[in-house]
Amino acid sequence: MKQSKSQVLTREQVEQFGAELDALHDRVRADLGQHDADYIRRIFAAVRYTEAAGRILLYCWFLPPLWVLGVLLLGLSKILDNMELGHNVIHGQYDWMNDPYLRGRDWEWDIVATGDNWRETHNFRHHTYTNIKGMDDDIGYGLLRLFPEQRWRPFYLFQPIIAVIFALLFEWGVAIQDLRLGRYFKGKMAPGEMSAAFRPVGRKMRRQMIKDYLIFPLLGGPLFLPILAGNALANVMRSLWTYIIIFCGHFTADVDVFPKSVMNDETRGQWYLRQIRGSSNLRGGKLFHILTGNLSHQIEHHLFPTLPANRYGEMAAEVRAICKRYGVNYNTGSLWRQFGQVVWRILRYSFPSKPVTVNRVRLVTE
Amino acid sequence: MADGILRRVMAPFVAPPVFDFWAQKVNRTLSWERPLARVVGRRVTARGVVTLQLRANRHFRGFQAGQHVPVSVEVDGVRMTRTYSPVTPWRADGRLSITVKAVAGGKVSNALLNDVAVGDVLELGPAFGDMVLPADAASRRWLLVAGGSGITPLMCLLRALLAENPEADITLMQWARERVDLCFSDEFARLQARHANLRVVPVLTRETRLLPTEQTGRPDDALFRAQMPDLGNRSVRACGPWGFVDAVRSLLAGHCADFASESFTPPPANVSAGEAVTVTLALSGRQLQVPSGVPLLESLEAAGLQPEHGCRMGVCNTCVCNKRDGSTEHVHSARRDDEAGPVRLCVSAPRSDITLEL
Repeated sequence: MKQSKSQVLTREQVEQFGAELDALHDRVRADLGQHDADYIRRIFAAVRYTEAAGRILLYCWFLPPLWVLGVLLLGLSKILDNMELGHNVIHGQYDWMNDPYLRGRDWEWDIVATGDNWRETHNFRHHTYTNIKGMDDDIGYGLLRLFPEQRWRPFYLFQPIIAVIFALLFEWGVAIQDLRLGRYFKGKMAPGEMSAAFRPVGRKMRRQMIKDYLIFPLLGGPLFLPILAGNALANVMRSLWTYIIIFCGHFTADVDVFPKSVMNDETRGQWYLRQIRGSSNLRGGKLFHILTGNLSHQIEHHLFPTLPANRYGEMAAEVRAICKRYGVNYNTGSLWRQFGQVVWRILRYSFPSKPVTVNRVRLVTE
Repeated sequence: MADGILRRVMAPFVAPPVFDFWAQKVNRTLSWERPLARVVGRRVTARGVVTLQLRANRHFRGFQAGQHVPVSVEVDGVRMTRTYSPVTPWRADGRLSITVKAVAGGKVSNALLNDVAVGDVLELGPAFGDMVLPADAASRRWLLVAGGSGITPLMCLLRALLAENPEADITLMQWARERVDLCFSDEFARLQARHANLRVVPVLTRETRLLPTEQTGRPDDALFRAQMPDLGNRSVRACGPWGFVDAVRSLLAGHCADFASESFTPPPANVSAGEAVTVTLALSGRQLQVPSGVPLLESLEAAGLQPEHGCRMGVCNTCVCNKRDGSTEHVHSARRDDEAGPVRLCVSAPRSDITLEL
């Protein structure tokens, strides 16, 4: 079995470790104010301006460079809407503002996945059961084998191709993640259950399709096709970017996966520790962090999913120092390095590997 | 209404936050659905008291004289709401005035007093309150009793009465500490010059030298009898702090033609851990007793309810629920939250009676 880069701590150490992170959380929570409110409103404005500019430029088909710029701006708008705005608002990171337009519970975004499904699969399941095999559906999304702990099947030989298709259509994958199609095809669902579950998803898909592929192209009259193509490209651009960033968050070389047994009497400190050992960060500049929705600070996000993401950068230095004190591996690297490791996992684990059971991974000494 | 049809046709395609963003580039009070008001005038009306003149957009549905209106303002990034009584009757052009008195340590009152300027935009809520005028108000004789900033709804009633009947017989007894604390003194002087049957009696509790028109002392029987020989024929409306209104009620109710009052709600009393508090579930119309200091999710489940929830540790935001009023405390950080707004039931414990939208 691959040895984790993190030391196994004693129970007392883990609780001290958790108390330090709690203190960091409380300090930042107490400091939230106008600065953070202004920040998220600036992001909201940036989404609106880039979308408007992008959509207008898509009408400039006769000047190809402008049309291309339109695609890029619309894609940028969708990326910002998806990540720094939507993902973070849906977590309730800005609920403290008590602004009815920035409430996590009610937020809906410009993507085929519904906010409600995301709240269930991501906010609850992925963030609570992070990297627990059999609990966190984000481990391979039921489609890919990324860890030797997942059992190999011949289907996975096609994984390098499937992974590319999945990346291009990532927003659709996210949309149907909560439907658990696998269970449906195995006949494990009651009749009617699937159609009931699909109804809201179908509604959202239809809405997005009508908006991007019918109304806006129709507004262009004879430019119907170029505008439709521009919308499609912008959506693919967003899918690819979010796929890359999200995969770098939990599928790099040194992240750990855990057996269900870690949940037995898991303390707050142990939960924190599992979040860090199951996540990996990306290094980059300020703009890069914004474009990733600050998921480049995946570790900080997993420790404090309800704190505003614009604070993760300043918290990262402290989290890193705390990790160092306790000998906990703080997994970070450039986008190329981290995504390279993800690609390696996709290729390597499409082939059989020596079976590994996850059962020996521990958070604390016995 | 052509407007209504357009709205219905557009509704499925409009995301209100996006609509508001662009509409407010044109006019900062335009909104798809939120009642917003622009501050169009600002006047200091007494020591530490300001009257803001507002112009509301069409989503604000007006109010009756004597009612209260929730006013929201952003203070250091947090939208906070307090209730104020408009001091002028509702006009069809959407103009209304609220009078705000600084409360020591009050975040909203001090923001309205010191930070809000002409041109700024506030949010309003639907008006409420039962101290409104009866149908035969213009023909009745009135005694209005105001304690401190309790003058505001009474000012509105007074103006509405005079607008209906310039000869209305009204006596206003206005309590304040010192003369500089009396709101609307200039205004009352002008009104009294125009309306022969309007009498305003200031009652000052801490002023050292009184003018001939002024009285002193707390509400008592002798004072009311001396000022109001015909008390038995008068309709009385009283407004002020809870203790003041309670004293006035015990002196006057039953001795006058009819009596109605409003008092400022006392701030939620903080109870120590383990004591029982009342949780009102506004959407399902239930009330239950739960121990303070215990996470709400746990208490509601113990009472047989099944609120939606996920992680039970404050991470996933599934159990988030809007709190209308009351104080809660975060169970890990012990951080207090006295404002209305979203709370996560699994990590929030009540510290006073609270109302949840559940």
